[in-house]
Amino acid sequence: MRGLNGPRPGADRAPANGAPVNGAPVNGATAPRTAPRPARGPGRASSPPSVFASVRALAPPVLRALPWRPLAATGLLGPLLAAVPRLSDDPPTPWLAVNLLRGAILLYALGLAFLLDDPARHTTAAVPTGRVLRTGLRLALALPVTVLWWTATLLAMPAEHRPPAGAITLEAAAVCALAAAGAVSALRLGQEAAPGRQVAVGVLLLAVLGPWFLPERWALFVTPDDPLWTAAHDRWAGLLAASVLTAAVWLREPGARLRIRCGTSGPSRTS
Amino acid sequence: MTHETTHENDIPDQECRMTTPTVSATGLSLSYGGTRALDDVALRLSAGVTGLLGPNGAGKTTLLRVLATAVPADRGAFTVLGHDPADAAGRQSVRRALGYLPQTPGFHPDFTAFEFVDYVAILKERTDRGARHREVRRVLDQVGLADARGKRIKKLSGGMRQRVALAAALVGDPGFVVLDEPTVGLDPEQRMRFRELIAQAGEGRTVLLSTHQTEDVAMLCHRVLVMAGGRVRFDGTPADLTDRAAGRVWSSAERDPGARAGWRTGTGTFRNLGDPPPGADLLPPTLEDGYLLTLDEADTAVTA
Repeated sequence: MRGLNGPRPGADRAPANGAPVNGAPVNGATAPRTAPRPARGPGRASSPPSVFASVRALAPPVLRALPWRPLAATGLLGPLLAAVPRLSDDPPTPWLAVNLLRGAILLYALGLAFLLDDPARHTTAAVPTGRVLRTGLRLALALPVTVLWWTATLLAMPAEHRPPAGAITLEAAAVCALAAAGAVSALRLGQEAAPGRQVAVGVLLLAVLGPWFLPERWALFVTPDDPLWTAAHDRWAGLLAASVLTAAVWLREPGARLRIRCGTSGPSRTS
Repeated sequence: MTHETTHENDIPDQECRMTTPTVSATGLSLSYGGTRALDDVALRLSAGVTGLLGPNGAGKTTLLRVLATAVPADRGAFTVLGHDPADAAGRQSVRRALGYLPQTPGFHPDFTAFEFVDYVAILKERTDRGARHREVRRVLDQVGLADARGKRIKKLSGGMRQRVALAAALVGDPGFVVLDEPTVGLDPEQRMRFRELIAQAGEGRTVLLSTHQTEDVAMLCHRVLVMAGGRVRFDGTPADLTDRAAGRVWSSAERDPGARAGWRTGTGTFRNLGDPPPGADLLPPTLEDGYLLTLDEADTAVTA
């Protein structure tokens, strides 16, 4: 085990840029001893690792780093809410059945809003592994859990009272995608390491105010016996597509706003 | 070699010949809303530790974040070890050469020190497990956390967490290390230990160290930049900065109304900065005196 003042591997490397070593001490100030070189530390492949290798290495720590608590708390309530009709002798109305499931979906979406909260965000702000891979991996790891949760929630509701599974699953997908898109956007547009609370508030406001302010021709929250059911689910499909598209756009690495000049040797260009 | 730099052309050719810059920036500007955080910043850094001094809101953190590619600038250009972060590929190349310790480093509190630095090493594209673990052990040894590598971060003291963050910055042996006020909140002993680590990190690397502590600069840095109002107001050696106050620090029994700044010292006399009256009892200047006078001149320039 090397001590504090031991030699650092690579400290004796030749300058990678062929730069002359020049840094004479000035009036006793600490002086550079060797010329700088780019990073070429141990464990680094000569070329960047493949996406597969990165995912395989990253998945275990990211899985641990995910904020599971909000998701578990809100996710557990979903099946309980869906199972409410089992506790009553009276059969639920179609309105109650569908809105119990919608309540479960909303609760889970509130948990999903915290998915991209990352206390280490600023510490890992300048690493070469891209935002698409890092954020995409978080979303991808939550996907199977979400599928399991939704299956359990659907099964918790008695089959005879269950709204059409395809349509209500579409609603669940759209709301979850909306929450994920909100989290991705907050990450991209803000500097907060944990924007989950704001995103959750936004999702909640949309869910509460949406039914009040959406005009009838854009209605989303209809019951299965409503003639607008099919048309509403076309709009749910649209919302899902828009949310996925928004998430995909904001997932990308921010483009440089720099008016670039290539160091000291190139012409100006604008990106 | 004392000079102020606010424009690219202000960097003397002499300095360019003296050292080959590893980091070179021209015309960096960035505004947040209506506030100009960076205003036409030009700099050239070479191997060793360069200090970045300035008051709160001077633009230090913004400059470091831009150079660390954490935020893009509105205008301007820079290169790190020959890599230009203008496009995605260039930005990635810069990040491969970079170690960054932010002002308020965050952690996954349930991770151990080893697990966290290992996580950062993976993000730095170290995917070979065996070699990566050796590297993580090396940097944890280097920052004096060999015995605490298995402890959860939430159980570590503030100083130890700061060392975990430094280890995360140093993992992968980066050529350019950006440290944003790493000694804030540390007690004197921890600060001294951290100075040793930074000095060691500066051997063979370019280290840019933002700090409020002039002692850090005096002890560590071969060069110092002073920022105020988003601009670089001074660029030179610590000795040059100290020399700015030569003949402009004097002692008096009462507060001198003509002084730009003055305070009562432990001996009961006043230490005054500015243009001394005839026959004043001149004192040897310190780096802090030079720094304060530079800031005062920057304020005067802005007011004028």
